[in-house]
Amino acid sequence: MQMVKKSALIILAIWFSILLFMPKTELYYTLEKTLANQDIKLNEKSIDEGLFSLTLKDVTIYVKGIALANIEELDFFTVLFYSSLDVVNLQVDEALHSKVPALTKEASFTHNLFSPLTLSVDANGSFGIIEGEIKMLNKEVRIDFVKVGDMSMIQSYLTKDEKGWFYEKSF
Amino acid sequence: MKNLFKPEMLKALIGILTFLLVLKLLWFIVQIGWLSPLDIDQEEDQSSKSLYYRVKLTPNNIAAPQKAVSKAVKKIAGSIKEIKLLAIYNASDIAVVTVEYRHKSKVLGSGDMINGFTLEGAGSNFAMFSKSDKNYKVMLAKNSNASSNTSMIKSVPTPKRKKTEKKVLGEVTNEGDIKIIDRSLLDHYAENMDDIYKNIGIAEVKEGKDLKGFKINFVRKDSPFAKLGIRRNDVIKSINGQEIKSYNAAFGVYKNIKNVDNLSLVIMRGKEEMELEYEIN
Repeated sequence: MQMVKKSALIILAIWFSILLFMPKTELYYTLEKTLANQDIKLNEKSIDEGLFSLTLKDVTIYVKGIALANIEELDFFTVLFYSSLDVVNLQVDEALHSKVPALTKEASFTHNLFSPLTLSVDANGSFGIIEGEIKMLNKEVRIDFVKVGDMSMIQSYLTKDEKGWFYEKSF
Repeated sequence: MKNLFKPEMLKALIGILTFLLVLKLLWFIVQIGWLSPLDIDQEEDQSSKSLYYRVKLTPNNIAAPQKAVSKAVKKIAGSIKEIKLLAIYNASDIAVVTVEYRHKSKVLGSGDMINGFTLEGAGSNFAMFSKSDKNYKVMLAKNSNASSNTSMIKSVPTPKRKKTEKKVLGEVTNEGDIKIIDRSLLDHYAENMDDIYKNIGIAEVKEGKDLKGFKINFVRKDSPFAKLGIRRNDVIKSINGQEIKSYNAAFGVYKNIKNVDNLSLVIMRGKEEMELEYEIN
């Protein structure tokens, strides 16, 4: 019993130390570098490193040098077996309002070790409320519209069944 | 206190500290070897936009009456009274209405725009439009033939079909030596970016890493773009005095295209630089 207790303590200490010393800001810079290769750049007002998280405030998303969207807060959180990316108040440029929903109030992408090949998506905004999953193994995306808002600009991409509107795509 | 300095305790403490140090060292190696130490930010476009004025110094008698026509059109442009509501289909998830605008009927879904007004929703006998944070109520025309809900449902297209039914309004016309672009045509392309690429192919021109302009790959015959006089292999250098050397500059022009009264393109055709000028009516 003593041995089990000691092992658990060591594992806990390793887990905690990995998260504590993780260079979160540099990991974010590396993500920025990867995105920059695709002509996507993120300009942020501030970066706050937490124990388990990294919070970016007032992020502007540039695609090929064009400021297409602004995010009030972007929060990366990880405890290794559970990770999430929370987006607060994503507003797209006025010129794109006919193509994509103008406002996403909250969006959350979560991943946990119990289903490692699935990414869950939840969001709400001017388009309504959505819930969905991205299945990495099958390379499938399915997003269900739980509550429908103004989605006229994306309706041509959606399908309707007895449960309501949904978006499905293989990639 | 004696317990703290017990050899076993000291050994454990040194072990923990060594472990933390090793872990920190490992992260440090990862950081130095594989992670980016620098924040990559998009540089704001500092290049100032050149002032663009179009001044007619020559006494051109043809252009003057056209301007008068332009002003007359402007007075009625943007008026809600131009929109006549013919039919309504109102479901829980979407409102679709048929309106008459400039003697042409058009089917609109929630969020679609016409004459600068956005369809927000519909009631049993009215449609609600918005413009500049103000709401406008348009009542169903009394003499409309489509008065029953069932008959209207039959005529309501699915959203997928609706896209193909969007007609391009307006034309490019030649008035003497001046080409006049109908404002509604410009508005249409400002709201339907996809329709631009159906008629014209645009590719970037680069010298090394620097963007030098945008080249026309193809122009669809009989399209409004062909009537503008743009040809294949033309390179667009500037629009209304704004040099087009970045996607941001091009997007800036696209965003403001609804607000311009004149359009001036500087293009390179072969080795010759040309200026194409248009009036927007």
